Amino acid sequence: MNVPADGTKAGLRGWLRPDVHNERRSLIFCAVAAVLGLVIAGVGLFHARGTRIAGVPPEDVAVVNQSPILLSDYAAQLQALYNVSPSQATPAQKRAVLNGMIREELYVQRGIELGLQNDFIEVRNSLVSSVEAQQEIDANATVPTEQELRDFYQSHLQNYQPEGLMTVTDYVAPDLSSGQRAVMAVRSGNDLASTMAADGLRTSGATDDGQEFYFAAEAHLGARLFALAKGLHDGQVSDPVAVGGRVHVLAMHSNQQPAPEEYSEARDRVLADFRADKIARMRAGTDRFLRERADVQIAKAFK
Amino acid sequence: MQADQAPVPTSARFTRPRVIAFLVAIFLLLILAVAISATERRERAELLQADADRILDDPRLAPKALAKGRKVFLANCASCHGADGRGSTATGTPDLTDQDFLYGTGLVSEIEQIVLHGIRSGDDRGWNLALMPAYGQQIPYPREKLPPLSPKEIDQLASYVGAMNGQAGEDPADVLAGHNLFEGKGGCWDCHGRDAQGDPAIGAPSLANGKWLRGDGSRRDISRIIREGLHSVSPAFRGRLDPLSARTVAVYVAYLHARKETK
Repeated sequence: MNVPADGTKAGLRGWLRPDVHNERRSLIFCAVAAVLGLVIAGVGLFHARGTRIAGVPPEDVAVVNQSPILLSDYAAQLQALYNVSPSQATPAQKRAVLNGMIREELYVQRGIELGLQNDFIEVRNSLVSSVEAQQEIDANATVPTEQELRDFYQSHLQNYQPEGLMTVTDYVAPDLSSGQRAVMAVRSGNDLASTMAADGLRTSGATDDGQEFYFAAEAHLGARLFALAKGLHDGQVSDPVAVGGRVHVLAMHSNQQPAPEEYSEARDRVLADFRADKIARMRAGTDRFLRERADVQIAKAFK
Repeated sequence: MQADQAPVPTSARFTRPRVIAFLVAIFLLLILAVAISATERRERAELLQADADRILDDPRLAPKALAKGRKVFLANCASCHGADGRGSTATGTPDLTDQDFLYGTGLVSEIEQIVLHGIRSGDDRGWNLALMPAYGQQIPYPREKLPPLSPKEIDQLASYVGAMNGQAGEDPADVLAGHNLFEGKGGCWDCHGRDAQGDPAIGAPSLANGKWLRGDGSRRDISRIIREGLHSVSPAFRGRLDPLSARTVAVYVAYLHARKETK
C-alpha cells in the first residue's frame, strides 16, 4: 500500500474527511475555484448582454439592460394606442406595444451612450425641465400641517386679498374752472348728475360699465387717475386734475378696498402657494448644491 | 485527573441531541420563512400581473387588494380625502365615494395612473390639462389668453350655473346673459362642454349635476370659484409608493366609488 505524498495515512478516505487536515486538497480546491472564476468571467466578457437579473420582477413587463418597463406604463400605452386593457388586447396589439416600448428604451439608452445631451437642444431642455419637474413632484407630494399653512398665510397676508372693487365715473370738464365749480357744488350737497351736466362735464366713457375690479379700473383710467380714485370714499368727488391735456373729475360711487380673505376661504390657494414656495426653495437649494459640487472653471476674460 | 478533563471531540459535541434539535428547528424556521416569502411573492405577482380592471371581480384577489389598499389609503390619501374618502367641499378635495368622476370613468387602471402620476403634480405623465381660470384676475389663465370678466359678468355666469342646478329666483335676464358669456366671452364651454356636462378627458366637472367640488353651490360660492379659480393638486406617488401599493390603493379607491352604486 502506497503512502500518500503529503504524509497522511488516510489516502483517498483522508481526502474526503473534512476533519483531517490536507494541504494538497486545499491548494487544488483553490486552483479549481480560480480557474472556474476565470472561465465564468471570460464567458461573461465575450457573451455579455448587460448584467441580467434572475427574472423579470412582477411589476415589470420587461427589463432592458436593467431598466424596467413597468406594467402600468405598458397598460397605459395599450389604452392610449388601442383603447383596450391588457386582458382585452390581442396578441398582436400586445406585441406591437411591447416592441415599441423596448425600442424606445433601447434608443434612450443609445442616446445616453452617444452623449446626445451634448448635441441636441431638445434633449438638454428636456433634461433640465425633467430635473425641475422632479422637484415639483417631490414638493407636491408633501402634505404640510394646518399650522404650517396658517403660518404661511399669516406671513403672506397681502397675497390673499381679492381684487378691490370700485364703481367710479370719470368726468371730463371743458376747463379747470368749470371743473372746480362743479366739484364745489357737489361737495355742498347738490345732485351729482345734474350739476355735472349744468357745468358742461361729460363722462369720458372709460368706466361706464359699472362696478370694476381694481386692475380693470386701472387699465381704463390710467395709473394717475386710478391712484387718485383708490383714495376716494363712497360718494366723494375728486379735485379736478389735468391728465393728458384734459381736465378730469372722478366721482366715486362705491370703493371696496381689498381685504384679506379668511384662512378657510383662501386655504386652497395658501396650499398652492406654500408648495410653489417650497419648489422655489428646493430649486435654489439644488442650484447651490450642484454649483458647490461641480468643478466650474471660468476663463479669465469671462469672470 | 487530566484524563478525566480531556476535551470532548468535536464530532461527539455535534451528535448531542439538543444540538440536533436546534439544527432541526433552524431548518424548519428556514423552510417556514421561505414558504411565507414565496407565498407573498406569488400574491404580489398575481396582483401586479392581473388585469387591473378585473381585480375587483376576482373573489380571491379582491379581498387581499382591498386590505392592503386601505392601509395605503389611510397612510397616504386620507390626509386630504379623509379616512372615509368623502373629500371636502371646504378645501375642494373630491369625494371618492360618489359616481361623479372628474378624470376618467372610475376604472382601476385609470385611478392607478392618477396615483402614480398625479394631477397637475409636475409629472408630465399625469393629468395636466385643465385648471379652472380665475376670471377675477388680470390674467385669468397663464397658459392661454382668456379675458378677465367684470363683477357683473361673474354674477351673470353664477346665475346661469345656479339656474342650471334648479336654483329659484334667478333673474332671467341675468341667466340669459350668463348663458351668452358661457358660450362666448368666458369660453366656459370649451372645457365644460356646451351642455355643461363636463369632460372627464380633461378633468372638467359637470356644472349641471348639483355636485360641487368646492362650496355648497350657493351664488356666493359659485361666484367665488369663477372669480378666484381652483388650485387643487393630486400628488404623483410614483417615487413614494411601490407598484403593489399603487395598484392596491387604486383598487381600494375604485371600490369606494363602486360601493355606493351597489347599495
